[in-house]
Amino acid sequence: MELHWGLPVIIYLFLAGLGAGALTVSGSVLLRGGGGWFAGQHFRIARYGALLAPLPLIVGTGMIVFELGTFRAGIEQFDIAKLFRWINLFKTINLSPMNIGSWVLGLCILFSLAYAWTFLTPTACAKDDQCKVRRVMAWIAVPLGIAVAIYTGIMLGAMPSRPFWNSQILAMLFLFSALSTGVAGILCMHAICHCEENQELRAQAGYILSVSDALLIGLELLIIFLFIMFAHLTIGDPAHAIAVILPGGVLVWWFWIGVVLFGMLVPGLVELRYTLPKLLHHNPYRVLRSVEIAIGVLVLAGGFLLRYVIVVAGQITGPVGM
Amino acid sequence: MSEHGEGISRRGLLNRISLGAATVTVAAATSGNALAAVAKDSQVHYAMVLDTRRCIGCHACSVACKTEFAVPLGATRSWVEYVEKGTYPNVSRHFLPRLCNHCRNPQCVNVCPTGATFKRSEDGIVVVDKEICIGCKYCIQACPYDVRFIHPDTGAADKCDFCLHRVSRGVAPSCVNTCQGKARIFGDMNDPTSEVAQMIATNPVTVLRQGMGTRPSVFYIAADHSDPRETRIPNQYVRVDTHRRIQERR
Ligand code: SF4
Ligand code: SF4
Ligand code: SF4
Repeated sequence: MELHWGLPVIIYLFLAGLGAGALTVSGSVLLRGGGGWFAGQHFRIARYGALLAPLPLIVGTGMIVFELGTFRAGIEQFDIAKLFRWINLFKTINLSPMNIGSWVLGLCILFSLAYAWTFLTPTACAKDDQCKVRRVMAWIAVPLGIAVAIYTGIMLGAMPSRPFWNSQILAMLFLFSALSTGVAGILCMHAICHCEENQELRAQAGYILSVSDALLIGLELLIIFLFIMFAHLTIGDPAHAIAVILPGGVLVWWFWIGVVLFGMLVPGLVELRYTLPKLLHHNPYRVLRSVEIAIGVLVLAGGFLLRYVIVVAGQITGPVGM
Repeated sequence: MSEHGEGISRRGLLNRISLGAATVTVAAATSGNALAAVAKDSQVHYAMVLDTRRCIGCHACSVACKTEFAVPLGATRSWVEYVEKGTYPNVSRHFLPRLCNHCRNPQCVNVCPTGATFKRSEDGIVVVDKEICIGCKYCIQACPYDVRFIHPDTGAADKCDFCLHRVSRGVAPSCVNTCQGKARIFGDMNDPTSEVAQMIATNPVTVLRQGMGTRPSVFYIAADHSDPRETRIPNQYVRVDTHRRIQERR
């Protein structure tokens, strides 16, 4: 079976989700405390989110260009006009999810750069002279990040010709996966960059990130359950399509072992193992840096595999009957 | 759907040229076939009937189409599927010619982010402007009939255009022209005197994948809609040869 959308689109969906998730998490952490105790304590989380977001958004968007037929023809034929044909996307506004998404994504990239700029100085803190600007920007960062994370799900979900994707809940799955990978990205960055300093502060941030990530993974698992049950319990095209990730399907191992077990259950359970004692008994949160990094990497790999399975499954299945 | 200026001007020009050409040439046409309707009614809606009882599976249409457009190797605008069914001695084989359905509710148009794919208001033909198309393949994903492909030379989406360059001059599409068994009937379905309108009105016609809600303009008479993947007919051997590089129906 031919895949019209291959690795560039899979990488794009993953990276755009990661960037949008990091942006949303950063904005919401900043707003949550209003610059007070919470944001003051966790300013570094907001900062890492803001600094992380632009790169995956830009690289991911760059990846989709490689999937464009005109760009590939342009490379083969050394045709500059074809190389830059993608500009046509921005010469029109219509109701195509891809068109709306491109505008939102373009805006999000520019915005994430401006937002990151306000965090760039090494002395940036919760109460510096940029704090008002940051707060206003955070109000925009949250909906913009959510919009980018959701639109990819709507784009895939808008087609009856692709019963695997044609589910209302796919956009929610993409949103929660984006937030979860965003948190995991920040967790990794935080663990890598803060090794030598105050253990108490480090544990505070690590704890809040791990709890949020465990919660997001739980919600993701719930959505996956609903996604599969809605399709499996119906008859016709959706039931036929979902069979590719159920026992006997070609993607069953990728999905259940790669995405669900190693991408969600293992990191989620490890996070619970370290956060529950503090949550229930107020015991101090202690975790090795290497464990934090491993959790983050697993969640990120799971997020990538989720996009892989969904993009491939949607294309190797179709309407049944002629 | 809004369209950017460049698209409008090019498209407007194309439409004006084709309408003008149609008016002139069709007025001069003497055959009295369905295409003559172009001149008298601007609400033309081109359609095709595929009478599979008359199809002998010779692929002449596929070859004519391929030649007409120099369609590159590996890609097809038009193809003929063989549908084999049953167990000896109760067996059947039917032919199912395939092409773009020029849907009245075309998903490809709904999803196109650049407006490169559009349905011509003057005759209902769904076309791709290869100068605007960026080759994003969203329309390829959205078409329930898998009739689109990326043309390797242009990098843009391509598919059957009901032979617009011929039809706009009052000439029948290449595949219709070449069909040995006269299984392909083309014309304006809004003109009750046209052969195509009469065929649709007087025969039990079906469309492919009706449940997709696309409302095709290509109609079939006596088509075998069997698909190997469906369980509509239990315990029945069904095999489909697509005769395309893509061996399986999607
Ligand atoms: S058959 Fe496919 S390409 Fe043709 S008009 Fe319908 S949706 Fe579009
Ligand atoms: S490939 Fe071209 S015609 Fe198809 S949706 Fe993309 S821009 Fe539109
Ligand atoms: S109408 Fe023209 S483009 Fe369409 S299948 Fe026939 S020959 Fe090919």
